[in-house]
Amino acid sequence: MKKYVFIFKSEFMSSLQYILNVIFGFIGYAVILFVFFQLWEYLYSDPNELINGYTMSEMVWYVIITEILWSSLGGRKLCTKICNDIKSGNIAYNICKPYSYIGYVVSSHLGSIAVKTAIYFLLGMIMGFFFLGGFPKLSLISILLIAFSSILSLGISTLLILIIGLFSFFIEDAQPFYWLYSKFILIVGTLFPIEFFPKIVRPILNYSPIFAICYGPAKLFVHFDMLYALQVIGIQFIYLVVVYFICTLLYKKGVKKLNVNGG
Amino acid sequence: MSVIEVKNLCKTFKVKKKEKGLKGSLKSLWKPKYKKIEAVQDISFSVEKGEMIAFIGPNGAGKSTTIKMLTGILYPDSGDISILGFDPKKERKNLAYEIGTVFGQKEQLWTHLTPYDNFKFFGAIYDIPEQAVEKKIEELKGLFELEDFINTPVRNLSLGQRIRCEIVASLIHNPKILFLDEPTIGLDPVVKENIRSLIKRMNKEYKTTVFLTSHDVGDIEKLCKRVVIVNHGKLVLDDSMENLKYHYLNKKIVEAKMKEKVNLEGEDGISILKDKGYNLKIEVDTKKKSVADALKLLNPDNIVDINISNIPLEDIISDIYQGEEK
Repeated sequence: MKKYVFIFKSEFMSSLQYILNVIFGFIGYAVILFVFFQLWEYLYSDPNELINGYTMSEMVWYVIITEILWSSLGGRKLCTKICNDIKSGNIAYNICKPYSYIGYVVSSHLGSIAVKTAIYFLLGMIMGFFFLGGFPKLSLISILLIAFSSILSLGISTLLILIIGLFSFFIEDAQPFYWLYSKFILIVGTLFPIEFFPKIVRPILNYSPIFAICYGPAKLFVHFDMLYALQVIGIQFIYLVVVYFICTLLYKKGVKKLNVNGG
Repeated sequence: MSVIEVKNLCKTFKVKKKEKGLKGSLKSLWKPKYKKIEAVQDISFSVEKGEMIAFIGPNGAGKSTTIKMLTGILYPDSGDISILGFDPKKERKNLAYEIGTVFGQKEQLWTHLTPYDNFKFFGAIYDIPEQAVEKKIEELKGLFELEDFINTPVRNLSLGQRIRCEIVASLIHNPKILFLDEPTIGLDPVVKENIRSLIKRMNKEYKTTVFLTSHDVGDIEKLCKRVVIVNHGKLVLDDSMENLKYHYLNKKIVEAKMKEKVNLEGEDGISILKDKGYNLKIEVDTKKKSVADALKLLNPDNIVDINISNIPLEDIISDIYQGEEK
């Protein structure tokens, strides 16, 4: 475990060189939030009106949290890197080190986005406060549980993108799959809570990764409930184990097919 | 004691074959065709503890594929590999603790961190206790002369400094075998020489077995006592550097400046490489004609200046490569 902490730390130290880039990157995120704030303000005739169980303020906070989790993840960059590493054979240089490749990808990626996520959370909270004039009422323990659930969400997301990237072992280019996945998350996961979808698809969404990576932690932020928090974290743990297992299986199968350029 | 044992190693790659043009692209979507490339064919050799061996061959000969199979990166189709008693196919992670790798064309260091932080990182991934890492860094810092830049971010180092740090990073965990894949590529002659002497010193100090691939004859000549040549995936030659030179250095190059023109056309054992009137360059096959006889033909009284040299090792190696192709 110590080695993965070191990988996290080394990537974290490297990422400190790019703080300005992160702050500029936040502008795109702020524009999305602003658009959605305007949209919900227009749709809600009265800020206390409930649409599918959410007030306007809760809807905006929901989007703030899901967008923080999705935007700070840097999924496209991660997927491109894994695909390129496999196609070019660069993955070979990780294979001959005494660590698990999956553990390496997860710890290095989380290390590289830790600063970005913290800055996005901070600036997102400031923006939310500025737009809505206050925060949802949360105790210290609930804040800690939401933070823990958010970290699990980032870990699951990283593994899910790793699964897509690992398909490069078997097909020419796995990036179009990422494109489809990211659009699915954007439409179904980040913009609207599950309650906004037809009843027939809700059970499917509740079992989909949407619940573990977007809906769960965001719902906790807007409607915190201790029992629900434990349920969300429990489901996230199950997801974590399942996606880790799939990653391991794909990696073990794929690495045997590795074709290294120049040898 | 053999630390590397390779028996009948084979590896075939399946490569997609596409006909030219748009029609070919569409056809390959519908009915993809593949061709087999036999990258490594029935290679066997062994390496003793503390040996420095050059594993060379032209591009596409199969040397990188072999190194990657030895280090557990690629899976062989058939054959047996034993590295320090480990089977790289099954015990890749355990083997990783015992070997070090330096790929001259690929950075393994974190460029935003200093060499010191990088060494600490490598110490952690090889599960070495903190104090032992510090001690090792201190030791290698002196051996590889890193004092001046150990706290400078890697991205600000020169290529020569970076390669030295790459080698140190791969030695942090005291590997028993070091695989060096073109470690001096892109370096200037002075830095190359420096890296070679440091590798030599490391081999002497730690008795580390060195498995080197390089296209640089200087690396091979100055570092290794044994050379293994592969071409077209097959082992062409496995011999000591001394034998290689002895068997292949039966030709001498004689360059002479003459008072009068000499005609050596048709002389047995002599081939004229350059004849510019008074300046003559000939190759003497010493199996057919001794150098002394060749000089007699030139007439010593007629010689103003003379230079007799061996054929460069580089030419010998290319001759071996080309001989195989013929």
